Order: sequence, then structure tokens, then C-alpha cells
Amino acid sequence: MVESINIVVFIKQVPDVPSIRIDEQRMTIIREGVESIINPLDCVALQAALELRKGQGGNITAITMGPPQSEEVLREALAAGADQGILLTDSVFAGADTLATSHVLARAVSKLKPFPDLLLCGMQSIDSDTGHVGPQLAEELDLPQVCGVNEIHIDGKNLVLKRLSDGFVDTVRVSLPALLTVNKDLCPIRDLSLGEIEVAFSQREIIRWTFSDLNLKRDEVGLRGSATHVRKLRSPATRTGGRIVTGSPQSIVDTLIQKLESMSILDEEDKN
Amino acid sequence: MKKTKINSIPGCVWVFGDYREYFQNRITLQLIAKGRDLAKTLNTGITVVLLGEQIHQYAMEYVAHGADTVMVADHPNLKEYEVETYTTVLAKWVKAYQPEIFLAGATSFGREFFPRLAKRLRTGLSADCVDLEVDPETSLLVQTTPSFGGELLAEVITPDRRPQMATVHPGVFRELPHNSEAAGRIIYPEVDVFPEPRLKVTRSRPQNKGKVSLEDASVVIAGGMGLGSKKQFELLNELAGLLEGEVGATRPAILSGWADEDRLLGQTGKSVKAKLVISIGTSGALQYTTGIQGAETVIAINRDPNAPIFRIADLGLVADGKTVLPLLIETLRKRI
Amino acid sequence: MVKYRESKISAHHNYLVNEMPTPGFVVGNPDKQEGFYFLGDIVLPEESTPRISCRLLAEGSGNLLLEMNWNRIQSNPEGCIHQSIPGGFQVVHSSGDILLEVRTQAFANGYLTRIKARFYDENGDLRMETRGDSIRVYDAEKPVLDSPFSSLA
Repeated sequence: MVESINIVVFIKQVPDVPSIRIDEQRMTIIREGVESIINPLDCVALQAALELRKGQGGNITAITMGPPQSEEVLREALAAGADQGILLTDSVFAGADTLATSHVLARAVSKLKPFPDLLLCGMQSIDSDTGHVGPQLAEELDLPQVCGVNEIHIDGKNLVLKRLSDGFVDTVRVSLPALLTVNKDLCPIRDLSLGEIEVAFSQREIIRWTFSDLNLKRDEVGLRGSATHVRKLRSPATRTGGRIVTGSPQSIVDTLIQKLESMSILDEEDKN
Repeated sequence: MKKTKINSIPGCVWVFGDYREYFQNRITLQLIAKGRDLAKTLNTGITVVLLGEQIHQYAMEYVAHGADTVMVADHPNLKEYEVETYTTVLAKWVKAYQPEIFLAGATSFGREFFPRLAKRLRTGLSADCVDLEVDPETSLLVQTTPSFGGELLAEVITPDRRPQMATVHPGVFRELPHNSEAAGRIIYPEVDVFPEPRLKVTRSRPQNKGKVSLEDASVVIAGGMGLGSKKQFELLNELAGLLEGEVGATRPAILSGWADEDRLLGQTGKSVKAKLVISIGTSGALQYTTGIQGAETVIAINRDPNAPIFRIADLGLVADGKTVLPLLIETLRKRI
Repeated sequence: MVKYRESKISAHHNYLVNEMPTPGFVVGNPDKQEGFYFLGDIVLPEESTPRISCRLLAEGSGNLLLEMNWNRIQSNPEGCIHQSIPGGFQVVHSSGDILLEVRTQAFANGYLTRIKARFYDENGDLRMETRGDSIRVYDAEKPVLDSPFSSLA
């Protein structure tokens, strides 16, 4: 018998990183003119949720923690077919590292009734690149975790997954409830089809929860609740260029060989 | 310099001993080497924690490569690398012995289990670090990690919580040579009952046909679109053979089908700390150069004198790679 | 604090004693005339075989059973036979019992020696016995050696 499934997808609004420029003077990101998008791997997670719901029936909740404009990504998720969106927003959430972020998200999940069957995240975000929120959420909610999933098969309360790990393909069996982080091979990364955009704006509500809605302690959220701090940003390029040589191809080759000899990568040629 | 409290059992700097594929996967040895330096500045020692079954060989290898102490749990239930089991065992040890610093390789497994452990310990963790240093004024571990896809490096600190945890990108640090005369301490802390694993994992075929150990190569010959064709690109293999090196590639070259994904150098691929990188026909895009800038010496060949690659190359040769490469190979062959 | 056991470990060669690797160990007192002792001495980096010396006494009577010095039999009143086996050697009593088995596993860069035995001292107390993979030693003064005990005379 096919059981309907309650899925929570965690999505994050991120800057469109490939078009980011750096302010070299102040060592910060120049945000003007840079679009905000849904983290690409979170799109993959959402698409996977939509596929699963097609097969099983059920309910999809999209959750995001961020400033008020993060609501945009929830609207997109609703337009793509999620049933409800939850925005966790509060000025005290700002400056959170993954420890504090996963705590706020976990509290939100704990408020859901019934408790979800399946929690999905993208494997990592393109801005902070850590990939920590998924495992840390799983830890706080005491759920088994499987990271880097690229195939999902469901059979009642049981999942059979494939995932890539350290050069190996693993087949993993786990019972729900569980948390999965997904990699790009699960579904092709493509723009979400916003077919349900009318419905999204007119009927589906976005629930907003702030600090006081979530039974949190002040020193467990935001900057104060973070264990790590970024003390400085710096540019990666630390090398400087050296000698530049032009000439005929053979002279170029000879220069190169001379350099290799001086480094003892080649033995000095025996001139006898 | 403020000195940190010295714990007598065991050293304050811990390294997670990931011994899978031991002879190809050198990350633990690289971390032991760096960990020794960090431990020295903190006036303490370095301990490798090793979980598994019948792992005496690895304990000996870690001592040979610089570990002062090896902390071991040798039990059939630890044979498989299992996130929750390892988290439970290590959380208990960390709480008992309170290391200052705990490092792991940024392997898939490391990046999956270390955050769970950090959460259980309510401490800070930085991911995929490309540098680690002890700040002389604060004695804090400064963890340098790429962010925004590597466009910027972030210096991260964990001021109040302990241990200061980090996963480290393979190939960033250099391992110490094997020393047969080394000896160390081996400790077997008591381990309780293990939680029953909630996952059933069957490991199957390796994803790649052969293991390419770019990160361990002393010489890397890298190629990009400037080589013009797959046939030209494949000449890199000959050059690599003559210089006992490995071949790397830029993403555009891989997307063109000239090389496999496991040869990718750069932000989304491998970083090398080779003695020498010869980079031919590569313009020097940031996404690529972050993969090679850790090398001791970079020699670049590109026909455009304004190519960005020359800004990071120690020796820049302005020439067409398509012409120079075959000529170089021919000249080298004549010498043999 | 978590309870723990500890030993020293060498990068080159270890014996598996009390379920832990150790570079060398001695049970009993080699200098005591006619007393039981067993010595697995430290193996130097240029060597690849363990150095076993011992004076074994018969259970019950306490009579001399065997004396070995650096893997070679010195005194052998009961006609034991020294035999090579894969990875090491064994000493077989004339009754057919295997008195002592020493097997060394070679890794890429090091060695691990496992010993199978059951030995009593002059007071009739059990001092060494096989447990699983390793040898258990009882009342050993220096279970772990810091430096080589003896050099080949």
C-alpha cells in the first residue's frame, strides 16, 4: 500500500555567486546588482520532493530562515507546488553559523504536526559551502542522515538510496523518518516550473515565525548562538608572477628544460 | 604568547584517523604533519584517534609519520565507517579528554560525520580548510576556508567553545616521511555498548576506474583549451610520463571531453601542492588557479602575454602550447 | 575520566601482548638462575624477525623444559623440536604438544608478532597464556621495554 508522505524541504536564499564581485578594499561582497536565487541544490531537493509526492501523495512544506526578503524563495517553492511555506525571520537570527541555524530550523520542525516523514536539504549552499546544516539538523532532531543522495526509492516507510561517497557508490537502506542531503545528480538542476504561481500568491499562505514563536533562548540563536566567527575575509590570490620569457619555440623549450634541470627534476645533461 | 593549559592525557591536538584506502589517501598523514606544528606552538602533543577493527598496522603507520599518541578503539562494531556510531564514541572521548583542537580530512565521510559530532559537542566547525595557524596573540586556531565558491577566503575562529574543529582539504599540507625508528604511546579507552546502526550500507564498485592521485603528485602537467584538440591534450600524458608526473585539466577541457572529471583542477576539483606545475594552454581563470596556486613552482605556457596565468606563474613562457608541447617532448626524448 | 589501558608502540615492530602492541616485553627474571623468564626483545629497524629468549619450566615439576637465546635453542632436556612455519617458528615437545608458536605478520612498512603459549613459573603460577589474538602476561615486571634488553653475545 502506498503511504502518503509528509516532506519538509529546507531552502536558502543565496546571492547568485558566479556573478559576484569582490570589493578588494573592504574585503566584502558587492551585493548591488547581484540577483538572489534559491540555492541550486535546494531546488534539486524540492524537485525530488515533488516527484515523491507525485508517486505517494502527501504534503510538502518549504522552510527557510533569513531576512524578510527570503520570502521570495518560499513564493517560488509554492509556485512550483509546495503546499505551505514557513519563513523563520527575526533580527536576532542574523549572523548565525550552522550551529545556531540548525537549532532554529530544528525548533521549527518540532512545531510541525504531525512530525514530518522526510527532511530534504541540498548538500551544500553556494555561498557558505559548508554542508553542515543537514547533519546538524539530523543530530538535533535525532534522525538518521544520509548525505550526497543521488537516487531515492521509497517503499512504505523504507527508503533505498544511492549516494556517492569518497569515490564509491553506496546503497543505503533506512527507515523513515530520516534526513537526506541531495547532490546534483538526483535531478537535473533546472529552473523550477512555476506553474502554480497564481495559486501560490492567492491561496497559499506563508507562515511567519519569529523568535518568540519558537521557544528559543536568546544565546542560542544568531551571532550570540554561534560558535564560529568570521574574523576576516581575504582574497585567495597570494602568488605573484615572476619572469616572463618570449622567443622561438626551441628557445622556449630550452629555457624550460634549463629550469627543470635547476630544480633537479631533470638531471643535467651529460655533455660527453 | 598566552600558553594554553597542558592536558597530560593525551595531546591537545587531535586528528581523526581515516585509514580507508590508506596508501592512496594521505589526508590523515598530512594532518598529522600540520597538527605537529600546531601542537608545538601550543606546547602540547598530537594524538590520532583511530576507530576500527584489527588496525594495528595503521596505528604503527601514524606513529611512523609523526603521531605522539594513538588513541584506539578496536572492535568489530567499528569496522564500517558509520556516522552515528563514530559520533557517539568520539563525543564521549572528547568530553573525557577535552582536546583543544580536533581535525579531520574533508573526505565525504569527514564532511558528513564531523558536523554531527560538532553539533553534539555544541562547538564550532569550519569546512574544507585550506590553511590552519595558531594566532600568536590569542592562541586561537585560525581556520581559513573558501567561501562564495572560493572567490573569497574566510578566516574563521572558534573563540569560546572547545574543541576547535575543522575539516581540511586534501593536498593542502605535506606529510612527514615514514620514520621506522619512531615510537609513541597507544591508549585504549574503554568503549561502551554501541548504538545499533540505523542505516544499512552496502558499498559497491568504485566510481572511477582507476584512482588518480593528483594531490600526491610531485609534478603536475595541466592543460587547458589552448591546446586546441583532444589529440594535443593527450600529448600531456607523454610529457607526464617523461617527467614522472600526473596530468590535470581545466573544467572547459573536461567539458570538451578531453579528460575525465577526476583530473579536474580548481575550486570544484582538486588542489595540488606539487613541487612543480606546468600549465599549458590555460588562460588562468580564478576557478582553475585556486587549484594550482599552492604548488611550489608554477611554469605557464600561453601564447597571450596578458593571460592572467602569468600573474601567478614563477616562470612564464609566451608561446603557443600546440607548438611547444610536441617540441618539448621531442627534445626530452633525445636526451634519454 | 574514561578508563583506559595503555602501552608503547613502535613504528617498526611490535608484539601483541595483553591485546596491545608493544615494542618489547619481559616476564620473569632472566638473571635468576633456573627461574622462568620469557623475553620478546625490541627489534631494530634493520631487522625483520622477533628476538625470543626464554627459560621454560615444566608445569608441576618445575624442571627445566627449554632454554632459548635469540630464537635458538640452548638447552633441550626433553628433546623438543624447533620447526619453521609460515611467518615464524614453533617449538614442539616430544609428546607432540606445541609448546610455543611465534608468527610475524608483515605490513608494508612494519611487523606484528603474535605468540601462542602457556607457561608456568618456578612457583607453579601461570605467567603467560594465549587469549584470542594475543598473549596475556601476568605479574610482569617490565611488560613494556624502553630499549633492547640484550644484544647478541
